[in-house]
Amino acid sequence: MQNVTISILRFVFFVSTLVFLVLPGQAKAIEYGGFGGRPANPRSDNPRTESIFIYTLEPGEEKLDAVTVINNTPERKTLLVYAADSTPSTGGAFACKQFSEDKQSVGAWITVSKSEVTLDSGTNETVPFTIRVPQSAGVGEHNGCILIQEKKVKNENQSGVSLSVRTGLRVAITIPGDIVRKLELAGFTLSDKPEGYLLHPQVRNIGNVSIDADVQVVTKSVLGFTVMEHGGEFPILKGEVSDWNFELPKPFWGGWYRSSFAVEYDENPEASVGIQSGKNLTLLKGDTIWFFSFPTIKGLILELLILVLAAYLYRNYRKFKKHKYAVKNDWIDYRVKSGDTINSLADQFNISWKSLARANKVKAPYALEVGIVIKVPPAE
Amino acid sequence: MIESILGLVRQNKTISVLVFGFLTFFSVTYVLASATSNFTQTINAGTLSVDIVDASYVTVGSPSVAMSAVTFSFACQAATGTFGTASQVIYVKNPDAADNGWTVALAASDPTDVWDSAGTDFDFNDSTGSGCTDGADADSLGGQMTVDPSVGTLAVGQCASCVTTNVTKGSSAPFVQATTDSITILTGAAGSNDIGDWKLTGVSISQTIPAEQAVASDYDINLTLSVTAS
Repeated sequence: MQNVTISILRFVFFVSTLVFLVLPGQAKAIEYGGFGGRPANPRSDNPRTESIFIYTLEPGEEKLDAVTVINNTPERKTLLVYAADSTPSTGGAFACKQFSEDKQSVGAWITVSKSEVTLDSGTNETVPFTIRVPQSAGVGEHNGCILIQEKKVKNENQSGVSLSVRTGLRVAITIPGDIVRKLELAGFTLSDKPEGYLLHPQVRNIGNVSIDADVQVVTKSVLGFTVMEHGGEFPILKGEVSDWNFELPKPFWGGWYRSSFAVEYDENPEASVGIQSGKNLTLLKGDTIWFFSFPTIKGLILELLILVLAAYLYRNYRKFKKHKYAVKNDWIDYRVKSGDTINSLADQFNISWKSLARANKVKAPYALEVGIVIKVPPAE
Repeated sequence: MIESILGLVRQNKTISVLVFGFLTFFSVTYVLASATSNFTQTINAGTLSVDIVDASYVTVGSPSVAMSAVTFSFACQAATGTFGTASQVIYVKNPDAADNGWTVALAASDPTDVWDSAGTDFDFNDSTGSGCTDGADADSLGGQMTVDPSVGTLAVGQCASCVTTNVTKGSSAPFVQATTDSITILTGAAGSNDIGDWKLTGVSISQTIPAEQAVASDYDINLTLSVTAS
């Protein structure tokens, strides 16, 4: 009975240890706290609708959709859910107007079914909303936002800047018609920074819809080696100039460099937010900026070391070439006699045995065959 | 059966160790497990978010930006502050919720807002006279705030494999009512990490204070930091 019980306990311990070692990997969860929202009904034909709301609607049309309001913070929160017009932020970036501001565009077209939701930690709620496009809406893209913001009571005793945070989802509504997708380059500058340079390309959207443009800034050395590539795909809003600050660390080696700027985008009217037509990819090439950069301290030290090493190698090379020239043109023939050794001949002609062996390509054990002709320095 | 096991435990050290390990394992791991051992796991949908957190990534309850104190002056002067410090870090998280890019922007909670005190106020978005005099907007106050994210320090957050590539800091810009109501702090391009988090500190804030501005210790203004999927 005792042996059976011990066996059972050993088995249970073995199994439980195995389970303990194997299962925790599957039970791990990634912590991504924060509150915000996501489109509740993303479309399979446009992956971008997983992040933002994208519609093509006729004037007068009505659309029902929903936003999933999420609270992944550790606390229960009451969150405001509201629509607002968009506003360009500096650099042409997309931003949303404030809760307190009047709504005149897309913000006014959206009616959210609930103005606030209270969510426990780790929960979410789907909040429906309706978009009613006015008959007067013009052709092209109109942008607005659906925002989720914590309802906070102002701390009256606090001085300085009091901060609130919120998460917005862009609502892009395109009214069909004569769609114009056109960009132009608006400038490209380079300025010094304490530890490098700031590359500042600018692109203007002169069409009537936003365009996702692939901005490329490539910096190369004078020898053509790519030092750094900056850029990425950015939305450029209609009527706006978008600009970016790309930081270029001071090149290690220093010297002359060139930064070039280009923008690629889909010009075909069939393209839209999140969808490329793939038919009319247009590449705009901007100016190239040449600039001289001093090396970093480490680069400078390394360059000096390389310079010294190069000078040393060059000196030795010159010496070797001179020696080789002398052997070929100045040295005379000598026929090896019985009793001659490499050492005796070296002493006789006042030269090191190694130089004599090297000049005549004599290998170890440096034995000289009687009768062969070797080169020796001319007698003084 | 139980009595015989307990008896064995008392007599045998090997069994004591086994039982101890057995109990330790089950007391730690199966706190919430059902008798049938059916494991369930829910991973909530993530959301793009911005927050002000401390060094341990814990949300700061009442985030603020303290501006340097200035002395009453007959001349226009500037107070400075730093948005994003070691204890109040600007923190952006994108848990695969905005793959095509996002923007973090700073704006006043109301563009018609002012630096408010119990006594007199001053403006944050009047460009007249480089912010030293009144004129450009509807209120009758001078003053202008300039935000410079380009001098800030951008770094990845808790995501060890993430990079700051394709995340760019905004340019220095002053608030101008109805013209520049929102200042871009950070922009994430489509090529930035789909799952990632970033932190920014050292954003410079400078506020022009008109000449002869009344002495007060309670000037305050409400700003909103937004992250928007674009």
